[in-house]
Amino acid sequence: MAKGALSLPLAGTRPRAVRRRRAWRFRSARGLLYVLLLGGACVSLMPFAWMLSASLMTYGETATRRWVPDVPQFANYARVWQEAHFARHFLNSVLITATTLGGQLFTSVLAGYAFGRIAFKGRNLIFGIMLSTLMIHGMVTMIPNFLVISNRVPFLPLPGGSWLNSLQGIVAPYLASVFSIFLLRQFFAQIPFELWDAARSDGAGHNTFLARVVLPMSKPALFTVAIFAFINAWNDFLWPLLVTTTDRWRPLMVELWRYSREAGPETHLLMAGSVITIWPILVIYFLTQRQYTEGIALTGLKG
Amino acid sequence: MTAVTTEAAARSGLLAAVRWFKMRDHVTGYAYVFPASLLIFCFGLFPVGYAFYMSLRRWRVTDRGFVGLENYADALGSPQGALQFAAGFAGLLAAYYAWSRLGRPRHARYRAARLGSGLLVLLCLYLIAQGWQLMQASGDQRFLNSLPVTFYFAFGSIPLQLAIALGLAYALFQKIRGQEVFRVIFFLPYITPVIATALVFRNLFSPREISIVNRVMTAFNREPQKWLFEPERALNILFGAQFDGFWAGPSLALVSIILFGIWTYVGYNTVIFLAGLGNIDTVFYEAAEIDGATRWHQLRHITVPLLSPITFYLSIIGFIGTFKAFNHIYVMLEPSAQGTVTTASVNVFNTFYKGNQFGYASAQAILLLGIILYLTFAQSKIMGERVFYG
Repeated sequence: MAKGALSLPLAGTRPRAVRRRRAWRFRSARGLLYVLLLGGACVSLMPFAWMLSASLMTYGETATRRWVPDVPQFANYARVWQEAHFARHFLNSVLITATTLGGQLFTSVLAGYAFGRIAFKGRNLIFGIMLSTLMIHGMVTMIPNFLVISNRVPFLPLPGGSWLNSLQGIVAPYLASVFSIFLLRQFFAQIPFELWDAARSDGAGHNTFLARVVLPMSKPALFTVAIFAFINAWNDFLWPLLVTTTDRWRPLMVELWRYSREAGPETHLLMAGSVITIWPILVIYFLTQRQYTEGIALTGLKG
Repeated sequence: MTAVTTEAAARSGLLAAVRWFKMRDHVTGYAYVFPASLLIFCFGLFPVGYAFYMSLRRWRVTDRGFVGLENYADALGSPQGALQFAAGFAGLLAAYYAWSRLGRPRHARYRAARLGSGLLVLLCLYLIAQGWQLMQASGDQRFLNSLPVTFYFAFGSIPLQLAIALGLAYALFQKIRGQEVFRVIFFLPYITPVIATALVFRNLFSPREISIVNRVMTAFNREPQKWLFEPERALNILFGAQFDGFWAGPSLALVSIILFGIWTYVGYNTVIFLAGLGNIDTVFYEAAEIDGATRWHQLRHITVPLLSPITFYLSIIGFIGTFKAFNHIYVMLEPSAQGTVTTASVNVFNTFYKGNQFGYASAQAILLLGIILYLTFAQSKIMGERVFYG
């Protein structure tokens, strides 16, 4: 041990040529890293840049080799907004997302609290069954769910008939999320039990303890769950595509896809529509990116 | 006398209170779990059973009665072929078991086990190839073709995606200036609605000569390509080869979709790798430095092994993800790609939504579920044992 340490040349005693060579090597390696990262960043951003640029072109300009429009055509946005009735679909998406978010937070907080902090009979069994549904491929549940929502399954009659083309039909399968429950359970379970003992001796029940102590302490976890729910609900495509056949409740994503099938070669309008659909996500992301990436990393590390 | 009775009463009162508390815990527990359980039962658990029920019936929009395994037979063609195919894959797992478990080096059984499992692998590969041909001869071409497409999609995306992400995470971890900015940029494709970005890529990879990717091609003195509209194999186009069959690889259209997938998911993988790198104790690197390990040796012998649980997690998530992938493929799918981009999920959706064959689509979905469960199981057995948990 000591011998090895002694035989190490100290930094200051290295010949100058070696030091200079090392410094150069270090700097060039660092330069290479920056080139790599900048290249990656360019590839990541290029489609966005092009989307923005093309959305401001005229129809003629999209058929040329131009990179940027001569005069930015902000009228494209107004045209898409009206042609594809984006106002209605935008509002639909907002309502769908808000309902999903509220419902999922409500069910997940309660279930996560119960699984994490209350010892009741059959707790692990129920939790295990819930986790096992994560293994199920979405295509398996899609067809029966479609029949349930169209009120064609005799065992599960829906109040008020078919839920096709309705808000409840679009959001119902997303009002509970095993993933959110799991995340909140992990977080709630870490809260020290001394707090619960103290609260109980002051006469608080689970309701009070959950509302007054647990929730205020769990803001980061709730926030993470909320961002995940928001982004998933806003970006969802397949399920709303199935259960909306009319304009009434169709969300933005489905409408954008339909519009793309109609617009055909009108690239500039399509890109303007895409920009309209993504900006709420981008705003939310930039406001919360630190929290969100930490949440991603956390869930990824815990598996 | 009175003191004793009050004490007994107090004790029984205490017991009653404790019992009441426990009772209340149970009741509150069930009440809290009820809303979530009801929803997950209705939309997550019940559908699995119901899908199985539907898969045993002729069900085209409406239920037309029990048909047994006919839907499965329609999809797979020859039952014998399907059995051989399944047996081959089960045998592969058994061979892996034999290889890794039986005997120790220099033990008498060791060589026999290795030889035996080697032979078993050959036999299984033969069974799989044979079964596949039998199935191809009489099965549903659309369903069967969607399986190799999914295979190309998964194996084309995940290794590359993980390698790029590891490289980027490693670079970002070297105390780079603007680390956070880079992280935000790399992550952007992952959170943006996939419908919008897929529409952008449909334009970037359009067959027009002025599309961005074709401009890049001409800049490198290459022929402009049809990209998403091209059903021809990518290898044949790029290298002028004349391959055919399973080993010829994905079509150029599928390669375009794979590139989109990599663009989308690299950022997600980078963020998780980056977090994993942060969790590695610097003591390891200091010790290695003292022992004279180069940067490359440190990467190879410290970083990669200690990141293996994360690589494992990401590859499992990635595999499940590629089998689930639907939205972007559906948006980028062009009829002229002639089914070379129709993955298993898209095929199930088409059978259900366009073909209106509810029962048959359920049977396909359940076969797909079986395949995914097998792959996840095999992956966690084989890779899971090689993972090094610190």
